[in-house]
Amino acid sequence: MSGERIVDADVGVLGAGPGGMAAAKALAAAGLCVVVLDEGHRAGGQIFRQLPPGAPHAAIAEPPSHAHGHALIDGFGASKVELRSGASVWDAKPGRLWFEQDGASWLLRCKHIVLAPGAYDRCIPFPGWTLPGVLTAGALQVMVRGFGVVPGKRALVVGSGPLLLPTVTALASAGVEVVAALEASSRWRALRALPGVLGNGARLREALWYGRKLLTAGVKLQWGWTVFGVEGDGRVQRATIGKVDADGRPRRETARTIEVDVVGAGFGLVPSIEAGLLLGCASRLLPARGGHCLVVDAEQRTSVAGVYAVGEACGIGGAEVAMAEGELAAAAIVRLARGAPIAAGIARKAARERKAADALLRAFAPLPGLHELAQPETIVCRCEDVTLARAKAAAALHGGSHRAIKIGCRAGMGPCQARICGPSLQALACGRPELPMDLPVAQTPLKAVRSETILNAPEG
Amino acid sequence: MAETADLIVVGGGIVGCAVVQHCAELLPKGARIVLLDRGPVAGAASASCMGHLMVTPDDAQEYAFSATSVKLWAELEEREGGFDYNPTGALYLADDPADVELFAVLQQQFADHGDRAEILDPRQLRDREPGLAHDLPGALFYRGDGVVLPMMACGAMLRQAQKHNPNVDVRPHTPVTGMLRQGDRMLGVQTANGAIHAEHVVNCCGVWAPELAEMAGQPRLPIVPRAGNLAITGHHVTPIQTQLLEISYIRFAHGAAKVDPTRTDDPGGHAMNMQPQSNGGCLIGSTRQFRGMDRTLNKALLHRSLLRAQRYAPGLAHAPIVRTWVGLRPYSLDKRPLIGPWPPLRGLWIAAGHEGLGITLSPITGRLLAEQITGRPTTIDATPYLPARFLR
Repeated sequence: MSGERIVDADVGVLGAGPGGMAAAKALAAAGLCVVVLDEGHRAGGQIFRQLPPGAPHAAIAEPPSHAHGHALIDGFGASKVELRSGASVWDAKPGRLWFEQDGASWLLRCKHIVLAPGAYDRCIPFPGWTLPGVLTAGALQVMVRGFGVVPGKRALVVGSGPLLLPTVTALASAGVEVVAALEASSRWRALRALPGVLGNGARLREALWYGRKLLTAGVKLQWGWTVFGVEGDGRVQRATIGKVDADGRPRRETARTIEVDVVGAGFGLVPSIEAGLLLGCASRLLPARGGHCLVVDAEQRTSVAGVYAVGEACGIGGAEVAMAEGELAAAAIVRLARGAPIAAGIARKAARERKAADALLRAFAPLPGLHELAQPETIVCRCEDVTLARAKAAAALHGGSHRAIKIGCRAGMGPCQARICGPSLQALACGRPELPMDLPVAQTPLKAVRSETILNAPEG
Repeated sequence: MAETADLIVVGGGIVGCAVVQHCAELLPKGARIVLLDRGPVAGAASASCMGHLMVTPDDAQEYAFSATSVKLWAELEEREGGFDYNPTGALYLADDPADVELFAVLQQQFADHGDRAEILDPRQLRDREPGLAHDLPGALFYRGDGVVLPMMACGAMLRQAQKHNPNVDVRPHTPVTGMLRQGDRMLGVQTANGAIHAEHVVNCCGVWAPELAEMAGQPRLPIVPRAGNLAITGHHVTPIQTQLLEISYIRFAHGAAKVDPTRTDDPGGHAMNMQPQSNGGCLIGSTRQFRGMDRTLNKALLHRSLLRAQRYAPGLAHAPIVRTWVGLRPYSLDKRPLIGPWPPLRGLWIAAGHEGLGITLSPITGRLLAEQITGRPTTIDATPYLPARFLR
């Protein structure tokens, strides 16, 4: 019954964000048969998210770099790439990707795999963060830009890093009053990003565009501030904000309360590497790039033959990096398949974009002190309802490692499989630096799938 | 100078934690008890198993062993709690007419020990568990079984131990690198952080117990790993409230293994075992296969496990599976655990080899070992489990 649910291709691409689209488009242009698997409704990924078909168009202002995204989406759409939307990859081995689509169980057989799975929002727990009305920066943008939904009237935007800016502009252009925009990094720390921005024309134009937008909206970015907690009767009604020290530790004496009904929290991103880990790819910890990252060589090859990784999975870098690395991975595969050499400009561009992104993101490397926002009774694992106090007790009794904490209180064992609480658990574990750094869990199913999907998986 | 203790327990799984708890209760107040594990507490088999409390009525000895242990579990819940103890009872199910007659056989076994299990007709079964397939030929219901969350139970045992005796010292992430001995007497252990001297050392290393024995210059213990594939669903989807077991499990799990455990061509077997979880999830097992320390998923066996689970609880077909994994159970070659002294080396004790009943049997194991160490009469006859039976 499942025999016909097999797709064959030269290259299977996981993810239709900027990296996946760029790779797929270039591969198709070289005459290779490419299938892209993506969980979204349409191509674009999180950053270039398109409204679902038929949805009313929301007039959301977009920065200049999004022109690249639209051009890429158009080129991708016009190419011979087969895009399978709503496809969730749940098992993998080199040359094979198993996925669930429309409730059916499928297998993609291919010679090469390009991993472009993107990233997750980094969640920092603070008192009240599980109240309705608190959203990650990513989720807010999905609502506003992806579905045209206005989440509230008065917003507080908090976090750290470049993603705060699109969150503010998306809210402002949807008519939400942004009461405060708080960047936890200090102005002085942020200055370290300056060379990375000034040395890259596109990034400079981007920064200026955002600067103008904030000015128009009357929003002033407050450096060295963050949220200490939110309160409300069943939903967000108030937020306590204040200053943090250079490590992100709250300075409680500076606390003050503001009235808001929505909070967008964007504390950076965490690379999605679990598909790579399941395939056996080597990884390493690069805190400034968001955590554990897949290791790739100068041509985006992972440690496993036939498996390439691009964009955020190799470390957070943004859309421009992902696109350049996608093209480079495609060129490396085309060379293998067609004998065509890699144009020098492609590798140089990928290296240049990555270098610029690293320079920018160094200034916004995760601040360890922000984990002190959580109080003993604050939930850290929302799947299993584990409070900080319980997680700490588990660490004390079972051993201080990330895994010991999970075992001792079940944190990270629920439906999200530690995608949300992983950074918090790792931060708790950091008191014992001599302990082994635990990798994110990599086991099948990568995403929750129905039992029937596993049972009906085509063999091959 | 080396640190000193009265008792060192090596291996912080459920058995090691139970040994620590009962030794803390029976050893003199103030005795120094050190628990060592190279990883987290409850980091190996106890974090990758099911959590069933199961009374096995095969014969009087087995019944006393398992039923006493299940009582000790209820006591731990009363005194400490915090490990999702749930006395669900167990439904023994069958779909093969040949297995239906086993209901009466098992019922009689419980009756032989003055205990009681009820045979349910299809209507009674449906009233008890509406989520089960409607074509089942009835079931046997036994009230005495239950479910616990083993990882958290380890924590509860250690908290109990520390309440009895504040000198209980739990040291995860502390590998034992050598066993210290003098002639035929244990002196203590060497760890990565230095030596610890003690009169008694208990080997609770499960599938690694043979390794630790060899470190002490002893012959290899008759314990081999037996792998189980498991799957767990998301929350709030469990179609069942009672622990389910296929009645063929009785034959399969406790009967003689038909395969040679030391060979590597075991195709593996399966009998359905499902447990409701406190968060509304459902834990699905249970397969058994000898294949060394290999912890990669056996997809064929996992499929069989999911398929059988779905046969009994059809709603599971649409349940989201969030995780699958493999655990290694320490299988003893004569299918009885090793609990007691290791006579060739005075001061060396063993508590290991419980295979799939380690969770059920850990409290009684801890009790028996603590009683033996302190020279007390044992709660039940401990002779069948003495490791010395393998010294010939």
